Amino acid sequence: MELRPIVSALMRHKTGTLLVALQIAVTLAIIVNGLFIINKRIEKINRPYGINVDSIITVSVRGFGEDFDSGASLREDMDLLRNLPGVVAATSINQIPLSGSGSSTGLRSVPDETATSTSATIYNTDEYGLTTLETALIEGRDFYPEEVEYSVPGQAQRDIPPVVLVTKALADKLYPDGDALGRPLYWPSMEPSTIVGIIGHMMGSWPDWHAINNSVFQPRTRNNFRYLIKAEPGARDSLVPVIEEQLAELNRQRLVRSVTTHEDVVTRTYEADRAMANILIAIIVLLVGLTSLVIVGLASYFVSQRIKQIGTRRALGATQIDILRYFLVENWIITTVGAFAGCLLTVAVSYLLETNFDLPRLDYSYLLVCVIALWLISQFSALFPARRASAVPPAVATRTV
Amino acid sequence: MFSYDIWNALRSMRRNPILTSLMVAAIAVGIGVSISMLSVYHIMASNPIPHKSDQLFRVTLDSWGPLRPYDDSDPMKTPIQITYREATALMRTGEASRQSAMFETGLVVEPDSPDLIPFETRARAAFSDFFYLFDVPFLYGGPWDKLADDEAAQVVVLTPAINNKLFGGRDSVGEKILMSGRTFTVTGVIDRWEPMPRYYDTRNGPFQLVNEIFIPFTLTPRMELWSHASSSNWKAEKIQNHAEWLNSEAVWIQYWAELKSDLEVQAYQDHLDNYAREQKKVGRFQRPINNRIFNVTDWLDYREVVPNEVKVLVALGFLFLVVCLLSSVALLLTKFDGRSMEVSLRRALGASRSALLGQHLMEVMVIGFVGGLLGIGLTQLCLLAIEAMISQAPEYMLRMDWQMIAAAVVIAIVTSVIAGLFPAWRSCVTDPAEALKTQ
Repeated sequence: MELRPIVSALMRHKTGTLLVALQIAVTLAIIVNGLFIINKRIEKINRPYGINVDSIITVSVRGFGEDFDSGASLREDMDLLRNLPGVVAATSINQIPLSGSGSSTGLRSVPDETATSTSATIYNTDEYGLTTLETALIEGRDFYPEEVEYSVPGQAQRDIPPVVLVTKALADKLYPDGDALGRPLYWPSMEPSTIVGIIGHMMGSWPDWHAINNSVFQPRTRNNFRYLIKAEPGARDSLVPVIEEQLAELNRQRLVRSVTTHEDVVTRTYEADRAMANILIAIIVLLVGLTSLVIVGLASYFVSQRIKQIGTRRALGATQIDILRYFLVENWIITTVGAFAGCLLTVAVSYLLETNFDLPRLDYSYLLVCVIALWLISQFSALFPARRASAVPPAVATRTV
Repeated sequence: MFSYDIWNALRSMRRNPILTSLMVAAIAVGIGVSISMLSVYHIMASNPIPHKSDQLFRVTLDSWGPLRPYDDSDPMKTPIQITYREATALMRTGEASRQSAMFETGLVVEPDSPDLIPFETRARAAFSDFFYLFDVPFLYGGPWDKLADDEAAQVVVLTPAINNKLFGGRDSVGEKILMSGRTFTVTGVIDRWEPMPRYYDTRNGPFQLVNEIFIPFTLTPRMELWSHASSSNWKAEKIQNHAEWLNSEAVWIQYWAELKSDLEVQAYQDHLDNYAREQKKVGRFQRPINNRIFNVTDWLDYREVVPNEVKVLVALGFLFLVVCLLSSVALLLTKFDGRSMEVSLRRALGASRSALLGQHLMEVMVIGFVGGLLGIGLTQLCLLAIEAMISQAPEYMLRMDWQMIAAAVVIAIVTSVIAGLFPAWRSCVTDPAEALKTQ
């Protein structure tokens, strides 16, 4: 099909055509950058936790009163929890994984303060920690019960634990040759602990943190005011109120600050990411809807302006398909011009976002996918007016002259 | 003439109901998306205390370790909080008309009433100057006095929420409360106070409600109060007890001072630098002297309290508005083009160009106004939707203030007039004879 007559017809409606092309360009810039951000967020949310969030209940407690014995209170609470029907395992921990709060430190494989340290989240837990989290060791062993430090009134805290567990990500950072098991790890005080077990994978406390996969476990329950409880399948939700009530009754010197499912905790942690993705999805849906409506509107207008010409062409032997094709090609030209300008605009917008707002560099494959999608959407939108045009009978040519 | 224009505008809008509603929808959606993003930004980036934001200063000192800066990516950044040692030294020697060290902790309230079980509350340990620094409004009573600071008296200022819970909302000044095993006397109850952002402590939730009670900072050692919020330490210290913690290099205290002139600011800065030099003599402050003070707006910028996400959404929201604008122009062109016959007739019958232009613009403004109103409604819906997605956001954070409503209306009308100007003008300059002939 000849493009020239179509182009020269479009040139008679320069402004309208250019406006729609421009609109397509801006639409493309928003969609490509928006989808890229959405996908980054989804990738972030979907990273494997390495723990079974869905079966865990989290508890936060606080002791008060002059002679509150945190060690004794912890043992009592653990006894109660471990004997509750529906509970598979329970442990105490200093911070809830993936909650957005916790503590971290810098670790080294050599006792040299000037060597670069590797950041890691610190978890203090007992011999039930890994079982409760359902995270598995790939090398070495779990803590022995006698290795776990409990708080005893009047007794000072042990400085550093003799043994620790680390995640594989941390082990590989400290010992890139993969021989971390049995080797020492140095705390900031330059005192060593021996790595006795390596956890396959587990995420730490802050999803935005660069060292999210680096965690170190100490066999310690002192100052653990948070509990993790692994429920039997299906028992989790009914256990929450039971735990809340029974813990509160057990000890009046200790507040139960919160009992909630780990799922809720993690949902909250990712709330902003999810909101960002949802808002962008809404914007993109509205945008695509609006742009297709405008394409329909403009194409309809073109059709209505040219009823007479269409009739004439039909009278001169053009088939319905010819007319249909004419309007689709016309739409294709507009979209292509728009998409071309849109590519430039997309790159400009992504550059601005990248430099001003620390966004990662755009992956240009998104551009290709979106241009193709836009072509399809736009052709689809133009199809209705084009079909109406093709239905114009040749007789129109003679009727109105 | 005006009513004739309006009448004509409405008549014309009715004639092309689909195009008209499409235009109204385009403007409404454009306004809804862009203004809701802007509202969120507007609130997050607002100045929480405009009348004295240039007189309140956040004090920071670089007490970090010799090997590494506080922030590897920007070595000139000072730790955002300070140590207990610096806090107490500055409170003793710092020359500011008002100043206060502060931190967030938690207390267990043990109510008298047998129906109430003990509960935990957030508490801020601060000096009495806190209330004057930040112009905290009081419902009952007032701050404790300086003497209470000096003597570490067990006094407390409550929030309305806790006062309601414990005393049914009545004037509780002088009442006693048992908290963490000690009896406190209420000296005041603050009124509704919603600084947004909560600038005095951006580290621990800049967009949180003020839901903490206040107690004298000087109670810290005696009550062994620990920070319930963020704390960090460059030094590997063995901290076995509270006293060791207070004496450690851990930074966990926020510090604010009121300095009324450049002279006072300079004097305070000099004082900090002298303090750092003194500390160098005893082996502390091993980094180059780098003490920085920030007024409120600078501090909020420095802390980057507005997340980049929000800025990205504002940018994309306005690009979206551009798309809506382009749509409107394209649709209006179509609409006015289709009316060249009528325009030509009216011109031929003697209507002036300006009268016709005025009539077209009136139509566009009506569309803009209706679109703007719907846009305000849509903005509210968008904000509700965002609120539903962010459970941590305080309810008043996602509201539209009068400035945003005005912005919505102005943007709606201005954009639609801009969008309508060209099509209206083009439609009116068409030569009537030509147009009538070709029909």
